[in-house]
Amino acid sequence: MSAANDKAHAFVAGLAASEGLAPLAEAGRQAMADLPVPTRKSERWKYSPLTPMLATPVRTATAPEGWPEDVPTNPIPGLDAYRIVLLSGQVVAEACDLPVADGVVCMPLSQAMAEGRIGEGDEDWSAYHTREWVGAVNAAHAQDGLFLSLDAGVVLDRPVLVHHHTIGDNVASCPRHRVHVGANAQAEVVLWSSAPEGASGMVNAVLEGKVGAGARLGVDKVQHEQGAVFHLAHEHVTQGKDSTFRIHTVTVQGHWVRNELNVLQHGSGSHTIMHGAYLPKGQEHVDNHTTMDHTVPHCTSSELYKGILYDRSTGVFNGKVFVREDAQLTNAYQQNANIVVDAGASINAKPELEIYADDVKCSHGCTVGQFDEEALFYLKSRGIADRAARALMVQAFIGDVLEGFGQEEVAQEVEGLLADRHGWM
Amino acid sequence: MLTIKNLHAQVEDTPILKGLNLEIGSGEVHAIMGPNGSGKSTLASVLAGREDYEVTAGSVDFDGTDLLELDASDRAREGLFLAFQYPVEIPGVSNLNFMKAAINAKREHQGLEAITAKDFLALVKEKSALVELSGRLRDRSVNEGFSGGEKKRNEIFQMAMLEPKLAVLDETDSGLDIDALRIVSEGVNAMRDAGRSFLVITHYQRLLDHIVPDHVHVLSDGQIVKSGPKELALELEAKGYDWIKEGIA
Repeated sequence: MSAANDKAHAFVAGLAASEGLAPLAEAGRQAMADLPVPTRKSERWKYSPLTPMLATPVRTATAPEGWPEDVPTNPIPGLDAYRIVLLSGQVVAEACDLPVADGVVCMPLSQAMAEGRIGEGDEDWSAYHTREWVGAVNAAHAQDGLFLSLDAGVVLDRPVLVHHHTIGDNVASCPRHRVHVGANAQAEVVLWSSAPEGASGMVNAVLEGKVGAGARLGVDKVQHEQGAVFHLAHEHVTQGKDSTFRIHTVTVQGHWVRNELNVLQHGSGSHTIMHGAYLPKGQEHVDNHTTMDHTVPHCTSSELYKGILYDRSTGVFNGKVFVREDAQLTNAYQQNANIVVDAGASINAKPELEIYADDVKCSHGCTVGQFDEEALFYLKSRGIADRAARALMVQAFIGDVLEGFGQEEVAQEVEGLLADRHGWM
Repeated sequence: MLTIKNLHAQVEDTPILKGLNLEIGSGEVHAIMGPNGSGKSTLASVLAGREDYEVTAGSVDFDGTDLLELDASDRAREGLFLAFQYPVEIPGVSNLNFMKAAINAKREHQGLEAITAKDFLALVKEKSALVELSGRLRDRSVNEGFSGGEKKRNEIFQMAMLEPKLAVLDETDSGLDIDALRIVSEGVNAMRDAGRSFLVITHYQRLLDHIVPDHVHVLSDGQIVKSGPKELALELEAKGYDWIKEGIA
């Protein structure tokens, strides 16, 4: 066994096996043994090596005794939402507020499993655990999460907030969510992760989604974790005919973040929106790996990721777009723009388009630059101080990402947090 | 208001201003004319505090303050305004938010409270009427998609909003058609008063038909080589700059 594998073995030794999701956990354990632990040698992990995370072993937290009093269950002022809250990977039932309505099943994933709502062979929609070691780690140790299923035609009246909060030292959290939006149904989900100063460990989160024919799923995903949390997130969403899936991913703060977003269009006429923003400071690291897979004709996708990198922070953007042979008349757009503010910061940006159909419209762009000095001077020449002028330009730069959130309250809270963090007005 | 003494400035080791002297009194309008490359725009940039320009000698006193000690934003807050020859497009920054930030920066400097939304909107309405800047343009991103004339009108709008003590107009007439020239000039003329001075930098005499200066100076090779009353501009237009150059040779 290699040194990397030894480290990885020691790292996960303190994780409790998943109880609620037995068949998946067994497959996960098997896959962990078979899959290589990612190293810098693998292209997909070259710029986000796991070495710093694996250096300190983590353990599963003991069952929570309740939600901490000093942490709001709903961190978004004014947001009227259903709520499922998790503390270090485990659902705190008494602090949840879940919808009860005809055609809606919304409950902790463990309960859905116990009630037989997840059938044999149906445990894993993404096959993530068979592809990535970190996916296998989640499958083997998945604790709990959101199970949301909407019958055909049901429009959920309020968004569902999934608030994951990490507390403690070297804690391992493996939340796992499943969202099924039936034909012509509609749902909005807010994924919010938080951690206080002093928290440390790993969050390894997986969300699997299926968006039925003519259905619509929107996700506002916000990462606002202080402390030293290594955050691995994977969303895997498949779309049916004429469906829409939208996700906005904003990393407000995170010690080390790897977002992996896979969207698969299985039905023609479907539309996907993937927007994201990252503004790391200090020595933070934020990685966004996205895959947009067009497999059928007449689909569109619009991807826009923007990054502003301060201090000695590092960023990664890797955007794969597949247009398969059958996916004629695809219209795919991808844009990644970065501003590297300080000389010590860096971004590794890589668009990857693989197009096998011949009648398609695909455009992509990737830019890495500094502040426009002429524009800065213009603002300053009107009396606006250097710092405020830079803040205005940053806000303008990421404004078009923040505009598209599903919930206005989430966008406002994110802007407020960013303003506090970066000294905006 | 402004006293420039023996000003020397260079860009990347190339001297451009070579001992420039100029005195502008309160309420006066001075015009600076001169051939291409004489240092007109450099003077504007040095006064506004553009960092690419290095001042190697001389002094600039602005109403009792050593201007060269201040950075660009402090100069503006002290009451200096530069109307750009090439106004910059800033996508995503709304014209109005920009102006609000600028006004509040100045008010903070003066120890005043931030302007109320009501007062701000009233001010916008009043000042945009001055240069016939439509609501459509006001509400857009700064200069984004503006025509050349619209950009220059936006400069004068900003000047009117900020009410500077000294406004430097850097070739504001370039790229303007007759109507835009008239609108811009009327905007400037409406702002003329005993407490406000103007330094109008231009290539052509035609702007000075609309904004009539108290004094005209000719800049050549980084120095003011001739000064006179407003009639000097007409003489220059008729005889060209070579006439001056011959005179000093």
